[in-house]
Amino acid sequence: MTVNPDAYFAVATLLFSLGILGVISRRNLLVIYLSIELMLNAVNLILATFSRLHPDEGGTMIALFMIGVIAAEASLFLAVIVQIYRKKHTLDSDAFTELAQGKKL
Amino acid sequence: MSVVLTWIVFLPMLFAGVLGLFRVRHTVLRAGAMLSALLVLVLTLLAAMQFDPQAEGMQFVRHLPWIFQYGITYYLGLDALSLVILLVIALLMPLLYLYMWDNSTSGYWYNMLLLQTGVTGAVLALDMVLFYLFYETMLLPIFIMIGRYGHDWNHAHAMKILLFTVLGSMAMLFAILYLGYAHYNFYGNWSFAWHDLAKLPLDPQTATWLAAGFLLAFAIKIPLLGFHTWMASAYASAPTPALVILSAIMAKLGIYGLWRFGYGIFAHILHLYEPILLTLSLVGMLYYAIHAITQNDLRKMFAYSSGSHLSLIALGVVLANLYTWSGSLYLIATHALASAGIFLMIGLIHQRTNTVQIDALGGIASVAPRFTFFFTFFALSIVGVPGTGGFVAELLIIIGAFSIHPWLGVATATTMLAAMLFVFWMLQRTLFGAPAPSVTTFADLSRRETVMLAPLVLLLLITGIAPSLFAPIFTPQIQEMLLQFIHAAGGAS
Amino acid sequence: MNSSLPSLIVLLPFFGAGVMGFMYLFVPTGRDLRRFYVAVGIGAPLLAALLGLIVVGEMLTLPDSASIASPLYSWIAIGSFEIDVAFVVDQLSAVMLLVVTLIGSLIHIYAVGYMWDDQGFGKFFAYFNFFLGAMLLLILADNPILLFIGWELVGLASYLLIGFYHHDTANITAANKAFLLNRVGDFGFVSGLGLLFVLQNQSGFDFVAIFSGLGGIDATMLSLVGLLLFVGAMGKSAQIPLYVWLPDAMAGPTPVSALIHAATMVTAGVYMVARFSPLYNRIPDVGLFIAGIGAASALLAALFASWQNDIKKILAYSTMSQLGYMFIAVGLGEYSNGIFHLAAHAFFKALLFMGAGAVIIALHHEQDIFKMGGLGSRLPAVRRTMLVATLAITGIPIFAGFFSKDAILAYAFASGHTTIWAVGVVVAFLTAYYMFRLYFVVFVAPSQQSSQSSPLVPLPRSMVWPLFVLAAGSLFLGFWNLPEAYGGGTWFSHELHLADHEAHLRFAEEYVLDGFNVLVALLGIAMAYRKFVRPAHPLNPPVHRLAWQSALANTLYIDTLYDRLIVRPLRGLSDLQDRLIDPKIIDGSLRGLVALYRGVAAQSARLQNGNLRWYALTFLLAVSGISLYLLIAIGGAS
Repeated sequence: MTVNPDAYFAVATLLFSLGILGVISRRNLLVIYLSIELMLNAVNLILATFSRLHPDEGGTMIALFMIGVIAAEASLFLAVIVQIYRKKHTLDSDAFTELAQGKKL
Repeated sequence: MSVVLTWIVFLPMLFAGVLGLFRVRHTVLRAGAMLSALLVLVLTLLAAMQFDPQAEGMQFVRHLPWIFQYGITYYLGLDALSLVILLVIALLMPLLYLYMWDNSTSGYWYNMLLLQTGVTGAVLALDMVLFYLFYETMLLPIFIMIGRYGHDWNHAHAMKILLFTVLGSMAMLFAILYLGYAHYNFYGNWSFAWHDLAKLPLDPQTATWLAAGFLLAFAIKIPLLGFHTWMASAYASAPTPALVILSAIMAKLGIYGLWRFGYGIFAHILHLYEPILLTLSLVGMLYYAIHAITQNDLRKMFAYSSGSHLSLIALGVVLANLYTWSGSLYLIATHALASAGIFLMIGLIHQRTNTVQIDALGGIASVAPRFTFFFTFFALSIVGVPGTGGFVAELLIIIGAFSIHPWLGVATATTMLAAMLFVFWMLQRTLFGAPAPSVTTFADLSRRETVMLAPLVLLLLITGIAPSLFAPIFTPQIQEMLLQFIHAAGGAS
Repeated sequence: MNSSLPSLIVLLPFFGAGVMGFMYLFVPTGRDLRRFYVAVGIGAPLLAALLGLIVVGEMLTLPDSASIASPLYSWIAIGSFEIDVAFVVDQLSAVMLLVVTLIGSLIHIYAVGYMWDDQGFGKFFAYFNFFLGAMLLLILADNPILLFIGWELVGLASYLLIGFYHHDTANITAANKAFLLNRVGDFGFVSGLGLLFVLQNQSGFDFVAIFSGLGGIDATMLSLVGLLLFVGAMGKSAQIPLYVWLPDAMAGPTPVSALIHAATMVTAGVYMVARFSPLYNRIPDVGLFIAGIGAASALLAALFASWQNDIKKILAYSTMSQLGYMFIAVGLGEYSNGIFHLAAHAFFKALLFMGAGAVIIALHHEQDIFKMGGLGSRLPAVRRTMLVATLAITGIPIFAGFFSKDAILAYAFASGHTTIWAVGVVVAFLTAYYMFRLYFVVFVAPSQQSSQSSPLVPLPRSMVWPLFVLAAGSLFLGFWNLPEAYGGGTWFSHELHLADHEAHLRFAEEYVLDGFNVLVALLGIAMAYRKFVRPAHPLNPPVHRLAWQSALANTLYIDTLYDRLIVRPLRGLSDLQDRLIDPKIIDGSLRGLVALYRGVAAQSARLQNGNLRWYALTFLLAVSGISLYLLIAIGGAS
């Protein structure tokens, strides 16, 4: 079965754009996290596609490897979100501006 | 004999290192410092005696590769111009140590030792990178001395002088690096030796910009009018020995740089800057003198006085003929002696009365005749009364200015009026009248202080009464420099 | 002919000054060194006077107009600027040499008595000798640069001596004023010298070389040189407009006023013009200007002198007035008469000052003539000698002033400068009036309470007998230059060998002119006599009711004018620089740069707002921008 690779790219671009949109427009940290995951997977998809287009398994390898890394990262990320929530009892990202210029830590 | 300059430059630093390594006591430290200063003086006098005024170019040259990948060399040399300043430095240092003799702050002494290496190196260095290095090195001890041991707003004033001078030297550094690179572009090898850079066939526009970098550095150091606002505050805050170095030597290095490198390297395009330099120095001479009139702080007053004289020296350099150049060189030396004297005595006033504000003083003449004599003498030397060296120098510059144009001569002759605007009124309020409360216990000069000041008085008298003893040392080489300058300037235009 | 004596004459007083100064500063206080100071302080001028006589005697034996040169060493030699320290005794400097050393010695002797009880006795004589050395340097210099050095050094000595009583700030102010105004003159002088040096295109800058090369110089430039040099003379010799220091200079001890501000230093300007006579002969217009300034100064000073009450200030204005006569003479080109009047004036004016000093000392430092009175019987010696000097300055026949002053006026008349002549006659009238006003009020008029109440301070002998020597001089000096009309031969003028202009009067005319002058002088004396010896009411200090009277008594408020026009604006400018230009404009513009830098930094810092999503957006935009650029760039390449 041969599918036109442009379709894969289109899907990946769509996913990536959705991810960016989510990061920028949504305020809930969990949703931002989800959006980041979307972007990561979009990149994964591109890697895998190119891997098939050029007969080189390196891309697939990295994609697989990344899935593992993303899984590990997810656990860390969720743990951090829990910690943040304990501190301020909110998941609104705009509430966390301690690193702004001129703010006291 | 060619190592003598190296010894002269690095002996004080060596002493500082050794003395610092053993963390010696105050008495040893001061004896060591004095020893180093005297050794340098002896070496300098030896070099001066071996110096051949008739010979062309640099003498006692030491030219060794240093950072050979970039053609940076260790390059020292002596000609009449640097000899005069070198003699002044070597002579003043022992006197300054005499002044500091009872000061037990060791940082003071180490800084002075390093300072001597810095200023001497800057006078003798002929590789531009080496020159830049020394030029910055000498700033550091001054910065520390003003910031650490100075008085009245010392931190702010130390920062001000640092920022101003570093701004200037940055511009110069850029120009130096560009020149070296240009040398690589033209000839395929790097060089920063000044005589190599002087021969570069730069296009006028580039040369104009590069010259601006140099001129900015020296204009700030001198300081010319408009670049001077660091001066009064730094002078007011500096401890006396640093102040003497600032006025008597470091400011002269600005002139020296303008003269050796400004006129040496950029002779062919310097006429573009001539109107500006001429105006700044001529107006500055009077501007500073007028500014000094209402100063209440003796240090500030003589800071402006210094500025006025340095403008005159710069004017002499800019006018560029045999008389003005001889006069400027002579004034470099004699003004250094006179201003060293006056600033040392202001320091003595500060030690005795804890103030240098003129309105808090008065009537010193009634209690301290010796002090009054020396103080008046130095003040009159600054005015340029005949019999002191300053008169000879001013006369030469005036005559040189007349030989260019009568009106320029008349304008230059106003220097006769400049210093007297403030000096006599100052003397009146400081020395004469009824004794002020602050001076009732004013002690006359002690033996050590007299020994410290007497050489300055004697030298000022000798330079004034018999300038023919000194003129033959520098006139042949001045003539030579002038010919080279005219040749280079004429060759391009 | 060469001789080392002239050098020795100049160096002796300097040496004396050095020794005394050193002793004064470094010998512990408490030891009475006054005898030593007297020995050195008087020894040096006396020896100089003796050597001077020998040198002048030697010179007179030489063939006509030969001079004695005394080269010492090369002062400087750079390019064609070759100046030697060399002295020359020719006819002109010989006259000055004798006047300065002889009168100088007498005043030194007088000063021993005058200063004996002063704490600064040694310092005074060190300064005094220093002055004498500088004056001799000025006179004997064989080139204008050396002359200028002496010129400045006498100014310095004058500064030091006017401010001698330094406890009183007013004295120092007077000293400052003297130095400053002199320096303004010196500014002109040095400009003139610089210009002259540049104009003459040969090596050698001594007088002989300069005068031989004058022919090749453009007349306009030469006039400028002459004018600039004369500016120096205006300062040194207290002529309009630089005269205001002279009356204030009377703050110094009286021997100083006698020596420096009457007999010698102030006449340096006249000497200078005479020295440069070959130059001034080429520019008669400038000469006329000089004469005009001289006449105006003479008149103004005589007016001021008539309204002063301070005995020394009267004499100071009188000096200025007499200097005006001398400038009339040298300006019109009769240099010998100018120099002759200078010499005669040195005698009688020194005498007047020394007499005034004796009176002042006797009256416990009282200087207001209206607090004196009736001293004639109590100080007979002073009175007699003062009378001689007063008659001399008034121009009564056989006294020195008659011959010297009338020669000037006669010449002015003969050469057709009748305005100047008329001014001179008016001044002669005023001179007679104010001098006899002084004489009558101090010595003849009934005594005032204050001078009677306290006993007089006895005068030491050293203060009295020099008066008689000078009186003899004032009496007989005139015969040295006896005009032909009186059977003389103007020997003085002939000996001087100066390039005088010639203008002849018939003897009859001369008799008429002189008679007229004497008449005018007698008129002045009569007026003073009527006002002050036979007054209708008891003698009181004059009260000035009318505006012009008080204006004259306040010397037309010239000092205030100078203060407003020059001193205050300068201080204001200085203040302006200190408060506005330096901190606000120069530092201010720098601060503007700093503020700009800080503003940019603050604006860019606002990007860092801590907002995660904001960061993400900027990140995205940046990456998109870069990608877009790459796409276009690469797309363009392929």
